[in-house]
Amino acid sequence: MSVVIRWLKPATTVYAHCDVPCGIYDPHQAELAARTVARMVELLGQLPKESPTEADRQKFVRCVAIKEQHAEIVKHEIQVIWSDYFKPEHVERYPDIHDRTWKILKLASKNKQNIDAQAAAELEAAVKEFADIFWSTKK
Amino acid sequence: MSLAETWRRFRGGPWRVAVAEESMTPALQPGDWLLLDPLPRRWPRRGSVVVVHQPGTGQLAIKRVTAGPGDVVLAGTGYVKLENQAWLLGDGGGHSVDSRHYGPVDLEALVGRAWFRYWPPRRIGTIPRRRSSSARARSSIASKGRLRK
Repeated sequence: MSVVIRWLKPATTVYAHCDVPCGIYDPHQAELAARTVARMVELLGQLPKESPTEADRQKFVRCVAIKEQHAEIVKHEIQVIWSDYFKPEHVERYPDIHDRTWKILKLASKNKQNIDAQAAAELEAAVKEFADIFWSTKK
Repeated sequence: MSLAETWRRFRGGPWRVAVAEESMTPALQPGDWLLLDPLPRRWPRRGSVVVVHQPGTGQLAIKRVTAGPGDVVLAGTGYVKLENQAWLLGDGGGHSVDSRHYGPVDLEALVGRAWFRYWPPRRIGTIPRRRSSSARARSSIASKGRLRK
């Protein structure tokens, strides 16, 4: 049996690189998700307020669903970097990182609850600042 | 693809590969043994799993095609139209090292399409072309001015 397995075993290894063993983190996904939330709010604002057609209602539902989904992605990605990547020395350098994280999570929730261009812009900016802090710890 | 290129790929393979690391879970697990098609006729098709020479390192990586030539993707802070390129992502969302790190990949860097898992025995079968809905939700593709299809 072991001879057969040895024969079947591929000689080439391909790598599905990820941060689990590699320790690689990236706030890029959170930034994209925050951008998507803002874009969905923008699209929702373009829909007619009065006498919407069936297509308008369909688009409304899709936009809201995607906004909800991506606000959740922001929360997840930010939480992972905050809890798994940031070390005590980073917190020493950026003592407000806990507060920033907490505010992003709150902002993401606010974006789930409302269709609010101001909140979407704030979320995008806050995630961008978080990403800037993350990259500065890499230097 | 020229006849010479077809012959080179046919001879060179690889035909069988082993997966390491976890960015393609749950579709692929570390330790999976896969059959490759080094002569794909119509790839990169969106949703296919491909083996590629990773830009920068040249190491063989396995990722999923989420956009191909002619598609527009959100890369960094701007939109990019892919020419003779593919946009590759892992199924593992933000934890995968993929086109979000090294950008679009030239089609010449693609080595083959993973189409069948022959080990372990309890997971034998074809490789699904589409990702799970949760993985799709994490995709970074965004179509400019319209909703993602």
